[in-house]
Amino acid sequence: MSNATVNLNSMSESELDVLERKIAGKYMHKVPWGAVVWGIGNLIAWLALWPLVLMDIIPLWLGFILATLNVSLSYLPSHEAQHNIIAGKGQPLRWLNELVGHLSTIPLVLPYRVLRHTHYEHHSHTNDPQLDPDFNIHADSGWHFLWKSIMNRQPESGRSEAYPETLKRTGNEHMILDAVIYQTVYLTIMFTLAWSGYAIEAALLWWVPKQIAITYIEYYLSWAPHHPSKEQGRYADTRGFKSRLGNLLSMGMQYHIIHHLYPKIPLALTPAAYRELKPILQRRACNLGEL
Amino acid sequence: MKLIKLLLSPIVFSIGFLTPLLAQLILATRTELSTPVAYGTALTISIAFGIIAQHRGSWLWVKDHE
Repeated sequence: MSNATVNLNSMSESELDVLERKIAGKYMHKVPWGAVVWGIGNLIAWLALWPLVLMDIIPLWLGFILATLNVSLSYLPSHEAQHNIIAGKGQPLRWLNELVGHLSTIPLVLPYRVLRHTHYEHHSHTNDPQLDPDFNIHADSGWHFLWKSIMNRQPESGRSEAYPETLKRTGNEHMILDAVIYQTVYLTIMFTLAWSGYAIEAALLWWVPKQIAITYIEYYLSWAPHHPSKEQGRYADTRGFKSRLGNLLSMGMQYHIIHHLYPKIPLALTPAAYRELKPILQRRACNLGEL
Repeated sequence: MKLIKLLLSPIVFSIGFLTPLLAQLILATRTELSTPVAYGTALTISIAFGIIAQHRGSWLWVKDHE
């Protein structure tokens, strides 16, 4: 047994709290410039695909692959902004935080304000069947998740009501209008393209990539880190897990437990924070899997 | 508000997007078909799905809680 472990075991709960927060603090308050470039660059890359495909500069199959990649990568920069990681209120770079938050999720047709408020509720009530807006993503297995994911996209599914109900419950009903405007603009663009003879291009550059991306994002951001979703509480509602696809292809979500404990730590720093906090998390009996 | 609800309804999606998508897919694979036949076929199939989605609340007929 190492000295560090011995020391941890002899620590009181309050001493452990102080140490945990001291370690976590080292990784906070750093501007994630990578996420800024990623968020804006990814949107520009996706927008550039449209003229490239419509003018036959690149083939549609290549456009589809790139668009799927772009749309799948469009959520996480906004997620950094939702937690004010780029810049908090009153800070000089606040405008950049909000810009990245608003722009990066355009391919997903998800408004920033709606995402931020519902995501805060997810953090406050993780795994609560009544109050967690992401609870209906939970499933017994990966295959069950896939089935539920398809069912969740049906017009009268509980999932399609989850975010509006959360906004109503928290007194932010006016934000539903953001989602209505986003959907209206999206459908108007899709219908116009489709009836102008570009339905297959619209489907393969936006509609299908969006469906694949939503499945991928929900699997790694919501299902995998919270499975089996039975526990609630700071050290119990999120787990560490080893992804077969590795950390990059699972979008860094193996270390999502760090994000739930300290949401101000940038995504890129969660692996390092995890390695340093691991002995403390083990002492707290967190579910760390094989990570 | 009613206009927005209509725009976001499955029936409008089936006419506005699924019909031209299906018709253009038919024309891309069955080049001997005429445009009106392709669009007519696509409209029939899309509207059928749209009606199911509108009335059942599911494009696939089945629902999660059933």
